[in-house]
Amino acid sequence: MTDTQISADPCTETVQLTIPCRAEYVGVARLTILGVTGRIPFSYDEVEDIRLAVGEACTHAVERTGTDTATIRITSTLDTVALTIEVTDNIAEADKAAPSEEARLLEEAGVDQAGLGALLMEILVDEVKIDTSPTGTTVLLTKYTPK
Amino acid sequence: MTPTTQKKAQDWTQDDAETLFARYARSHETQMRDRLVAMHQNLVRYLAGKFVNRGEPLEDLIQVGTIGLINAIDRFDSGRGTKFSTYATPTIVGEIRRYFRDKAWSLKVPRRLQELNQTASKAQEALSSKLGRPPTIQEVAQRIGATEEETLEAIELGNAYDTVSLDSKMMHDSDSSPLSLAEFVGAEDKSLLSLEAFGDLDYALEALDPRERAIIIHRFFKDMSQAEVAKQLNISQMHVSRLQNRALSQLRRLMVSE
Repeated sequence: MTDTQISADPCTETVQLTIPCRAEYVGVARLTILGVTGRIPFSYDEVEDIRLAVGEACTHAVERTGTDTATIRITSTLDTVALTIEVTDNIAEADKAAPSEEARLLEEAGVDQAGLGALLMEILVDEVKIDTSPTGTTVLLTKYTPK
Repeated sequence: MTPTTQKKAQDWTQDDAETLFARYARSHETQMRDRLVAMHQNLVRYLAGKFVNRGEPLEDLIQVGTIGLINAIDRFDSGRGTKFSTYATPTIVGEIRRYFRDKAWSLKVPRRLQELNQTASKAQEALSSKLGRPPTIQEVAQRIGATEEETLEAIELGNAYDTVSLDSKMMHDSDSSPLSLAEFVGAEDKSLLSLEAFGDLDYALEALDPRERAIIIHRFFKDMSQAEVAKQLNISQMHVSRLQNRALSQLRRLMVSE
């Protein structure tokens, strides 16, 4: 079952999207963020960086989940200073998957996906905050808007 | 020959890497550096792969990323306790991002989206008549050889990159009738005022340096006077005027030369 609602609140400039935590839906999140950033005078480079960062956060949730039913909620908030995008999953500790074969091979080749993913996001946007709880993980991405 | 030099590149483990780094830092021997580069190709491939959707071939991005890798190898101090991949990632990614910036890539890629948009539209029409119904995104993607995401982007959002309007008015300082940006940029040659010539204004703006771009935006789209802009940017009005003229010539040059 898919559940992709997009609602825009004109007062607070918040856009929220919930997707199934599956690889084929990460593109939907990236496209929504493309739509959101289209209204802000970011450069093309910056838009692509933001989309990549959001895609990374979503992909890490997809890698982490061991169930079919997890979801990712992406909330973007625009104020006078910055665009903030929150990527939250509901993957409980008990529902985490063992690292996939691909992840294991990458790890052996010196690519620590989780660690590098966080580092990559920090390079792409201005601030990154990651909060892990027993009920899920939240990644908060902040990109200052052009003056 | 010592046992370590008999190993193939892919058999090296992290421990071997540490030894190699320490030895390389002391000797700077090319052969050692090449081995270190080979060992970390996976890292470069992994990072370069993140940037494939921006219109440049993966192989080129890997080459560019490898330059960053080499710089990181040269500067890495294995005694510091940082993992090399953590140390090298910003350098590798930085090199790739700089490659895009230097290519005035932001001028080219939106055009690629427009071209893909046209290709996708034609494919939609062709498939419609063939199938007797509107095609699915999957069918269009398959036909044009793009991913579903790219196809969706091209069809739905090819126009998402704000087209800055050439009719945007600017208040002329002497309170005479407002002039449009089109008139300013095309001032030297009236024939330039055709819409086609100005199709890339949006993207030409991206190529200006940030201060020049800010001046154009403040003056032409926010209706600010030169005095107000000067105050905003904390420079003299004459400086604003000079920068504005420079920005306009730059825009003219960028949009006319094809």
